[in-house]
Amino acid sequence: MSDQPAASPQGILSRHDERYQVTMYRRVGVEGAHALESYRAAGGYEAARKALTTMTPAQVIDEVKAAGLRGRGGAGFPTGVKWSFMPPPDGGPRYLVCNADESEPGSFKDRYFLEDDPHQLIEGMIIAAYAMQVTFGFIYIRGEYYEGYQRTWEAVKEARAAGLLGQDILGTGFSFDITVHRGAGAYICGEETALMNSLEGLRANPRLKPPFPAAAGMYGRPTTINNVETLTSVVHIVSKGAAWFAAMGSEDSKGTKVYQVSGPVKRPGVYEMPMGATFRELIYDFAGGPTVEAKAFIPGGSSTPMFPWEDRFLDMSMDFGTLAKNGSMLGTGGVIVIPRDKCIVDALYNLVRFYAHESCGKCTPCREGVGHWLPRMYQKLVAGLGRPEDVDLLENVVGNIRGTAFCPLADACVMPVQASLKWFRDEYEYLAANGRPKYQKNDWWQA
Amino acid sequence: MKVVVNDIELDLAPGTSAIDAVFAAGDDVPYFCSQEYMSPIGACRMCLARVGSPRKDRDGNWILDEETGEPKIFWFPNLMATCTTQVTEGMVIDTRSEAVKNAQNSMVEFTLINHPLDCPVCDKGGACELQDRAYEYGDGLSRFEFDKRRSEKHHELSELITLDRERCIHCKRCVRFFEEVPGDEVLDFIERGSHTYIGTVDAGLPSNFSGNITDICPVGALLDASSRFRGRNWEYDHTRTTSMDDATGSAVIVDARTGRIERVKAALNPDVNKTWIDDGTRFGHEYVDSPDRLTRPMVRRNGELQPVTWPEAAAYVAERLKGLSGKDVGIVLRADSTLEEGVAALALAEKLGTGQVDHAPRPAGSLLPSRPATLTDLATADAIFVVGDVTEEAGILDLRIKDALKGVTPPELLPHGVPIADLRLKERMPRRAEILTVAAPYRVDLMRHAGASHLYPAGGEAELFRALTALAGGGQLTDEQRAALGADEAAARQLVDRLRSASDGVLVVGGFALARREAAEAARAFARAVGVKELLVGPMANSHGLELLGVLPSHERYAFPGMLQEAKALIVSHLDPAKDPDVAASLKERELLVVHDMFLTETARLADVVLPARSVYEKDGTVVNLEGRFLPVRAAPVEAGQAEDFTGVVRYLGEALGERLEGRSVRSARRVLKRRLELDLAELPDNGVIPRLKARPAPKVTTREAPAAGGNVLIAPSMARVEYLHRNPHLNAAVGGPKLSVNPADAEGLGVMDGAEVRLRVGGVWRDAVVRVTEAVPAGLMTLPALPEQGVGLVQADLGSLVVDQVRLEVAS
Amino acid sequence: MIELETTTPFFQDKQEVVDEILSRYPEEGRRSALMPLLWEVQRAERYISEARMHEIAEIVGITATEVKGVLSFYSTYHEQPVGRYHIQICSTLSCALAGADEMYDHLVNELGIVNGETDAEGRFSLQKAECVGSCGTAPVLLVNDTYYERVTKSRCRHLLEALRRDEMPEPWRERGGDNEGAEKATPFGGAEGGEA
Ligand SMILES: Cc1cc2nc3c(=O)[nH]c(=O)nc-3n(C[C@H](O)[C@H](O)[C@H](O)COP(=O)(O)O)c2cc1C
Ligand code: SF4
Ligand code: FES
Repeated sequence: MSDQPAASPQGILSRHDERYQVTMYRRVGVEGAHALESYRAAGGYEAARKALTTMTPAQVIDEVKAAGLRGRGGAGFPTGVKWSFMPPPDGGPRYLVCNADESEPGSFKDRYFLEDDPHQLIEGMIIAAYAMQVTFGFIYIRGEYYEGYQRTWEAVKEARAAGLLGQDILGTGFSFDITVHRGAGAYICGEETALMNSLEGLRANPRLKPPFPAAAGMYGRPTTINNVETLTSVVHIVSKGAAWFAAMGSEDSKGTKVYQVSGPVKRPGVYEMPMGATFRELIYDFAGGPTVEAKAFIPGGSSTPMFPWEDRFLDMSMDFGTLAKNGSMLGTGGVIVIPRDKCIVDALYNLVRFYAHESCGKCTPCREGVGHWLPRMYQKLVAGLGRPEDVDLLENVVGNIRGTAFCPLADACVMPVQASLKWFRDEYEYLAANGRPKYQKNDWWQA
Repeated sequence: MKVVVNDIELDLAPGTSAIDAVFAAGDDVPYFCSQEYMSPIGACRMCLARVGSPRKDRDGNWILDEETGEPKIFWFPNLMATCTTQVTEGMVIDTRSEAVKNAQNSMVEFTLINHPLDCPVCDKGGACELQDRAYEYGDGLSRFEFDKRRSEKHHELSELITLDRERCIHCKRCVRFFEEVPGDEVLDFIERGSHTYIGTVDAGLPSNFSGNITDICPVGALLDASSRFRGRNWEYDHTRTTSMDDATGSAVIVDARTGRIERVKAALNPDVNKTWIDDGTRFGHEYVDSPDRLTRPMVRRNGELQPVTWPEAAAYVAERLKGLSGKDVGIVLRADSTLEEGVAALALAEKLGTGQVDHAPRPAGSLLPSRPATLTDLATADAIFVVGDVTEEAGILDLRIKDALKGVTPPELLPHGVPIADLRLKERMPRRAEILTVAAPYRVDLMRHAGASHLYPAGGEAELFRALTALAGGGQLTDEQRAALGADEAAARQLVDRLRSASDGVLVVGGFALARREAAEAARAFARAVGVKELLVGPMANSHGLELLGVLPSHERYAFPGMLQEAKALIVSHLDPAKDPDVAASLKERELLVVHDMFLTETARLADVVLPARSVYEKDGTVVNLEGRFLPVRAAPVEAGQAEDFTGVVRYLGEALGERLEGRSVRSARRVLKRRLELDLAELPDNGVIPRLKARPAPKVTTREAPAAGGNVLIAPSMARVEYLHRNPHLNAAVGGPKLSVNPADAEGLGVMDGAEVRLRVGGVWRDAVVRVTEAVPAGLMTLPALPEQGVGLVQADLGSLVVDQVRLEVAS
Repeated sequence: MIELETTTPFFQDKQEVVDEILSRYPEEGRRSALMPLLWEVQRAERYISEARMHEIAEIVGITATEVKGVLSFYSTYHEQPVGRYHIQICSTLSCALAGADEMYDHLVNELGIVNGETDAEGRFSLQKAECVGSCGTAPVLLVNDTYYERVTKSRCRHLLEALRRDEMPEPWRERGGDNEGAEKATPFGGAEGGEA
């Protein structure tokens, strides 16, 4: 695409840095960007050509490793390393799955990729497939994203017709095809092994690990699962080089990342930034700052423990290491701003209800604790029927769930609860003692 | 592999699960979702423990603890489910620390928040894993103050199984059972999260093994509908015995209370049935408690059967025998009589000096193969060829064949027994269907799981085996031979090649082939030609043993059918030949007819003397299963009036004849058997033994081939034994009566509809049946489940005799 | 013989549809066709009856129980018919902070049905949904498969009016953030705009 800028010794940490440019999200929102013609006109599929014609699979993996790309689906696992877990080809089928289930509250970046720039994703998948010598790919799109599903299918068909998918891609002898699969509304399908079960037509409960997908994934065959954004990033790593990517970001988190802001801010939406940009830059400089007084923010999707609205947290760098050090996670980079007037207990009730609704029911602490007990405890508190002891009981029950469940969903529910208790216990206690919330606003709906 | 469990050091095989390590150390850890012989899934989280292991540095050396100099233990950050954790070298497992205790207590608390705690009215009370674990590992306190989940309390999953949805703790054992063991996915979780419940939309839970879920449900959610509310666990007498329901000799527990059998459950025999039984075995016991059981001997006086005492009845028989020559007496036992009863029959025959002694049903071919396979051989085979409908003949064979399809060898036993979590087992494991080929004259259930199926013409078993043997010999097939294969020649060649190249191939020969000597011999020749072991499925529980013992006529002319025509006096145990009106007419001509049975059968009605018989649950004795395994049978404490087994009959008759005959009691029979077999049957372990027998009695008879088989109805095996079906109300309701299976084309020709109740004369016998119209049987053939005296095979039905009952069609308005 | 089965199989005359769906997946993955087949039925019939479960089970080679186990796992397959306009309202945090709860109350008043219900006419049904990925353009309504985002009170009113006339307005596409201006939000139908 554009020329490769020289790597900076300093690294690009801010979107205010002149060297930074919006890359992956450049074409989102542009009329007609989803069509092959438009994508090609913007230099599309040149990265795939480059990879397939000038690089060996191992070189592609090395490039991704050198770029320092970490998974954008939430866990941040180094992508190149994950790819290298695939066993050597044995002649049997191998699969690549794109995780486009995006169901984490506060996350909505992948949706626009699918609707507005599906070819970029397909190109990323071709490169990834080539790197791992994969024969077949799936894009698992959550059921609600029907437009994204249709657009992506159209794009796959266009790409097939243009010889970009199917047998002998670009005359290189490499063959790879993609199927687009529509989910039907279940958050757990974002968890990679549950996703595979769903894709195989089974109930979407998570699977036991080991075996890990690379050893036995789809239909028991070697499989790699990556998020939409992860695969999209690969296009630019290949086209602009690992050094370009690695020039951006902090020590342990490289490259450009697509962040999201929601809640009461002036310009909620999606912003591509270098990793290592701060929350303040995102929320104030780009999203225009809160429209009402804010008291907290969730840093990376509903599963990540929240921070109070304090300078020391707003000035934190949005990268994997910094957030982990501060007791939270980068997650999907979906920031939710919580206004002062939203009772924190009510906000958490909303989230707990979400996890209760989404618990798959496989294991006891999640099914009974998250799925049944917690929402009732919150309901009682929010209804003003709580007693002061209820806060301790809540804390204790939540502590009993922590770290005992089969998959991370239960922890994704209880860690934010624990964080809310850590920072805003006063609101819980006030509510439990007085039967009414400390802060309350009645109508959030705009005329 | 060195593992430390709570300071106890163990040496365990790699691959062992941490939960088994804990039990192997003699310690305990609670669990709900794990279950012997099924995949561990880590769902209940009850088995959490603190687990750590040493690590190696880059150079491959153990990282040492600076203080102790020992390898440093790195603890996993979270507690681990021990059932899904594999032990590694040096692993340390702690199940006793505060953190673990707190987790155990929390999991009990979570499990109980939605559990109804209706233990006082729950059938599982006193034998409930949840109840036990809650006492041991919970702190008896509930902090949950909200409404529990409300759900259906008495949901009939089928006629045989009732589900209480509120009690379910979502361990998934039942769902996994259906998928992993029989492969019939007829039960599943519905909905998700805390709304998840167990359910089905496959009416009647179509599986032959559904009852097992009532054994493995850790709580009282799944209950055997036939025994529901019949008693509390501590009130039952539990008798561990061997099922006499079919030739596999499955281990069962018979639970009786106040002289009644309330239920039959599966017991563990790792070499035979593991912990599973089929539904026929489980639910087929109710007939024992029928009110019309015979309880006293009777003698015909003035044309009426009148109650007498045993000595009176015996004296009467002795008196009547006096006028007869001994060799005019025929004695016949049913093929599920014990070895001890066989000894008694032989002793009586010897005393009377008759060679007319037999057991029935008895196949024309011998059941003693030259290269016998065991059930473990079957379960570990790499190529299996089944000829027949073994699922119906001996259900456990079906499951052991499915074991082989998974390709996992039976687990090594640990100090605590079968591993609780065998990590080699997985949910939805791939099955090696290609190793299994099934041949039958109609579409049998096992074909759903087979890589290839042959549908050969009924009665064509000999031709099938000969054609296959010809292929094995490299020969070209004639058109007739090709037709006999019931599959295309390429598939047959593949079968032959697979069997020949297999290192552990097994040929399973069912009743259809064994029914004719010609076919049985052709099967044997084929097995030899391709070099596989044989498993021959006898028609009843002790068919193998009675042949081994030689409860056989001195000449085929004196076999049961001949005896019925020629013997002047007949002693018949548990058989009802008079169902055939022609036989009945001929029986009336006998000078003496003694019937030993549980019910006043057609034959008993004609008898001069009727002796009350014990059911299979009321005897002590020994059976030999199809592998040649000697298995102990033990009497459950059931009220059976004055009923006796055949040793009792011989005891009384001997006394009346003035002699203490051998075999006059189980003990006396065992003395004989000890002498003959050098085997002390009183000492037989629960799981039985397959002895290397020195003396194998030479068959006394040279069997005469029956007239060439032919006919339009195939008498087929049935898991639910039809002779008692109407006395087994639950099983009868589930099965819906004996089925006459008819191809749609034939149904049209006959003018019968699915579900029609019909009566017709088949092989001489009047049979009631319910029509099942199905593509599973080919046009021109009908199948009907066998009565014991009939055996299986083709017979002629008089279609002109068909009576169709008035059919009531219920049309939804 | 008497024909007791009264419903015609859904896929009876749609073999190409079935074949196309099966062709999307590798051979070993026949069962993967389950979800697309369910979608096919639901898009046509607005729910999946037990008869359809048996039919799909047959196609995929599994039991009807497994089909039910799978479809009931998801929030968006229905076992009861829903309205011609099935309205999902996202109720998760970002939407709640933009007034989803008030919007829900409004819909309940307007439509006379609550979460999970279908009106007597079979026109509307209402379902609370969890985060549908429209947090930046909250609050959001989904009508069948179409997103209506940044639904203000007046937009909501217009939308319901249109649906009552059996018109599905064009959705107003918004991206928020950087691309706010790319495709400027216009109220549906170009009609009067209740702007956010
Ligand atoms: C409960 C749960 C939900 C998840 N949801 C998503 C999701 O919606 N999208 C996604 O890309 N990853 C999701 N993940 C993470 C995936 O399991 C997986 O780590 C990721 O797709 C890997 O891709 P990456 O390496 O490119 O990040 C979820 C994980 C958990 C435990
Ligand atoms: S019904 Fe019983 S066996 Fe089945 S999941 Fe529930 S508790 Fe487990
Ligand atoms: S999690 Fe249930 S036994 Fe281990």
